[in-house]
Amino acid sequence: MQTINLHQLEKILYHVEKPGRYVGGEHNQILKDWDLVRTHVCLVFPDIYDIGQPNLGLAILYDILNQPPDILAERAFAPWHDLEAQLRENNIPLFSLESKHPLAQFDIIGLSLPYESLYTNALNVLDLAGIPLLASERGSEHPLIIAGGQACFNPEPMADFIDAFVIGEGEEVTLEFIHAFEALKQSGADRKALLQSLSTIPGVYVPSLYDVSYAQDDTITEVTPSNASVPAFVTKRIVSELPTHPTRLIVPNIETVHDRLSIEIMRGCTRGCRFCHAGIVSRPVRERPVSEILQIIEDGLAATGYEEIGLLSLSSSDHTQILELTKSVYEKFHDRKISVSLPSLRIASFSVALMDELRDIRPGGGFTLAPEAASPRMQAIINKPLDDAVFEETVRTIFEHGWLSLKLYYMIGLPGETMEDVQAILDAGKRVQAIGRQIRGNRVRIHLSVGNFIPKPHTPFQWYPLNSNDELQAKLDLLKTGLHRTGIKLSYNIPDNTLLEAWLSRGDRRLGQVIQRAWQLGAKFDAWGENDNMPLWRQAFTAIGVDSDFYAYRERGLEEILPWDHIHTGVTKAFLRRDLEWSKLGKTRRDCREQCYACGILDAFADKRPVSPLVYWGCP
Amino acid sequence: MSNESIRIRMTYAKLGNLRFIGHLDLQRLFERALRRTNLPLRYTQGFSPHMRINLASALPLGFVGQAEQMDFWLDQVIPLNEISSRLRTSLPAELILKDLQVIDNKQPSLQASLLSSEYEILLPADIDLQILKDRIGTLLAQDTLPVQRRKKTVDLKNLILDWQLLSVSPITILKISMKSSPLENGRPDEFLVLLGIDPADCLVTRTKLIFEEEE
Ligand code: SF4
Repeated sequence: MQTINLHQLEKILYHVEKPGRYVGGEHNQILKDWDLVRTHVCLVFPDIYDIGQPNLGLAILYDILNQPPDILAERAFAPWHDLEAQLRENNIPLFSLESKHPLAQFDIIGLSLPYESLYTNALNVLDLAGIPLLASERGSEHPLIIAGGQACFNPEPMADFIDAFVIGEGEEVTLEFIHAFEALKQSGADRKALLQSLSTIPGVYVPSLYDVSYAQDDTITEVTPSNASVPAFVTKRIVSELPTHPTRLIVPNIETVHDRLSIEIMRGCTRGCRFCHAGIVSRPVRERPVSEILQIIEDGLAATGYEEIGLLSLSSSDHTQILELTKSVYEKFHDRKISVSLPSLRIASFSVALMDELRDIRPGGGFTLAPEAASPRMQAIINKPLDDAVFEETVRTIFEHGWLSLKLYYMIGLPGETMEDVQAILDAGKRVQAIGRQIRGNRVRIHLSVGNFIPKPHTPFQWYPLNSNDELQAKLDLLKTGLHRTGIKLSYNIPDNTLLEAWLSRGDRRLGQVIQRAWQLGAKFDAWGENDNMPLWRQAFTAIGVDSDFYAYRERGLEEILPWDHIHTGVTKAFLRRDLEWSKLGKTRRDCREQCYACGILDAFADKRPVSPLVYWGCP
Repeated sequence: MSNESIRIRMTYAKLGNLRFIGHLDLQRLFERALRRTNLPLRYTQGFSPHMRINLASALPLGFVGQAEQMDFWLDQVIPLNEISSRLRTSLPAELILKDLQVIDNKQPSLQASLLSSEYEILLPADIDLQILKDRIGTLLAQDTLPVQRRKKTVDLKNLILDWQLLSVSPITILKISMKSSPLENGRPDEFLVLLGIDPADCLVTRTKLIFEEEE
C-alpha cells in the first residue's frame, strides 16, 4: 500500500502554522510495518492535534490496539484550516501521522466523538479522506467507520454516517470487535452481512439495522430492528475493574492542552447531580487502588519525562483513599520537580486539606469549586445541596491556606430557575469576595464562570426545554450589572452558542441531513467561538425543512419514545422519571454509596460485579 | 546545591519529522528526554526551578541539522558512556546523539561564541547550473542585499561569508556559509528567495556550527 507523496507533503508543510501537528514522530509513537500487519485501524480524533492528542481515551485505545502484533493503530486529527486548504488544492488525501497512509487505505476508522461540536469535523475528515460520507454509499472497498465516545450515548444524529457505534467503555469490546471483523472478512462476508453480524456483539449499535417511524407531530412512534437477530436495544459496555493504565504515552512534540501525564484514578460518580450526563453514563463507581496509581505515576514519568501529572476523575475527593493518595504522592515525588493537579474537588474543607498535602508540588494558581447553583431551592432541584456554613468554611480555609484566587462554576438556565436564584449567584460571589478580603486583603481575585444549562439525554432533566436566548440573556444581564465595579471577574457563554449542543445532543436521525447540509455550507470547528457558524446551521435547518425549536425548546412528554431510548446506560428510564419527580418536589438524594436508590446499574451489570472484595465498586 | 556542576556538551542531528518542530518546542522536548534519562540533572534555584539547558542556535522549521549543539548540566560526575547510553534510549528516533563532551564551566555560552553556520542546500532537480551561477554572481556584485524581516531590514550580503556550487547530475547542491551570531543571523532560505527559488522545493541542511576559538 502506498503512502501519500511525502515530498509533496513536505512542501505544503512550509506553508502552514505549526506543521508539527501533522508529522507524528513523537516519543512512544508506535510505527509498525504496514505490510506485515493484518488489520489496520486509524484512530481519528476530529479536532486539531493540540486538543485531541492529550485525550486519555485515545491513548487507551492506541495502547490496546497496538498490543497484538497483527493489528496496527495509527492516529489522525482534523487539520486546521490552513492545512485543509493545502490538502484540497494539491489533491492530497488526509493521512495518518505514523506511516502517512491515506485514511481510505485503513480497514477500520475509529472516530472519537466525545462532544457534539465535532460532528461537522467528522464529516470533513471523511471527505478529506475521499470516503463517502453516507454509510449507505460505502461498500467493501471502503474502511468500516466506527464511532465511540460520550456523545455516542445518543448516536442518532450521526446514524447516517457511521457504520457501527461502540457504546460505553471500549477497553474490552474493541478487540472483540476487531477479531470478529477479521473473521468475517476472511469468510468473504459482504458489508451487509458483516454489519449484521457485528450488531450481535454486546455494546455494538449498527444504526442502519433499525427503522424509526414518526408520528404526525414528529415524535417517534417506534424504533424497530430490521430483523430478528438484531437486538432490540443496546446496553453500554463496562469493565468490572479498571484495566491496566497505559504508561508509555505519546509525548507530543508541540504544545498541547493538558500537556501532562494524565491518570484516571476513578471512574463514575455517585453524587447524582441531575444535570450531569457523565455522572449517569459512567456508573458504577470504580476506583484504582493507591498502590497501583503510584506505580502508574512512577512508570509514566519514566516513560514520558513529563513534569506535571493530572489525577483525573469526576469527583476526586470521593476516592475512598484520596488522603492517603495525596500523602503518598507527596512523599514519593516531591523532590522530583514535578507538579500535580487534582481537579474536580468537592466543596469541603477536606478538599483544601488534600491540596495542602500536595504543598509545594501543586501548580501555582487558584482554587476551583463548582457549586453550580447558589440558592438552596435550586441546589435541591439539581441535587447538589450545599450547606451555607460548609461553603463559607471551605472558602475561608482556602484563603487561610494561602490561595489568593478562587474560581467558582455556576450554571444558569436550570429547570425552574427564577431571577432570585440568579441573584443568589451574585450574592454568593460577593460574599466569597468579602471573606477573601477579610483574610487576605484586596489582593484576592474572584472569578465566576457561568455556563448555560443544556438538557442532556439519559439524565433526569432530559425532558426539559432549553431556556430561550432571551431568558438566558436577561439572566446574564442581571449578573453583569450586579458585578459591575465589584472587581469580580465574570465569564460566560453567549446564549446563541449553546443552541448547537442543545439541538444535537437530544437530536434524532432527521438531524443527519441537517448536519450534512451545515457542513456543506461551511460549518466546521463548531466549538471555536471565532467562527460563527450559527447562521449556517439555521440555513441548514431551513433548507432541510426541519424545525430546530422542536429539539431545543420543546418539553418532551414523559411517555414519549425518546430518540436514544434503545441505547441503555444501565440506569432505567423509570429511575430517571422518579428522580425528575423528586427534583420537582425539591427532594434530594444522598451519595448512593451510602444508600442505593436502585438506579438499575446493579441489575444491568450483575454479571460484571467483581467477586473479589478487593476490587472497589461504589454500589453497596 | 553548592557543589560544582558538570557541564556536558551534546552534538546531535535533527532529522525527518522533527524538522518541523520549532525551537521552543525542541527545548521542551529536550527537557523531557533528559528527564527520562534519570540523570542527576542540574536545576536552577528558586521557587519554580528550571532545568539548566542551553541550545546553541534555533534551526528554522524544515531544516535538517547534522551537527547541532546544546549544553546541559549535571549535579555529579557520570561517565560519558553512561550518559550516552541513557540518552540514546530517551531521545526520540529522529534526534540522533552524535557526540558528548565535558566542557569547562568558565567557557562562554554556546550562543555567545557562535560565529557562523555552514549549510548545504539540495536544489530542485530542474535547476540550470549556469544560470544559477550567473544569478548568484550578479546578486553578490551588488553593494547591499536588503531583505525584510518582520519590521526591520537586514543586509543579507553582509551575512554571507562564502558559497560554492556542486553538481553531480542530477543533483545540485549550494554550499553556503553565513553569520550566525545572535545579532547577525543569516538565513539561507532568504537567499534562495532572492535567487527566485522556493525554499519549500529545497532541502536545507545545517552541516556545521562554527564557534569562536578559545584563547
Ligand atoms: S446501583 Fe445504587 S449505588 Fe449503584 S450507582 Fe445506582 S443508585 Fe448508586
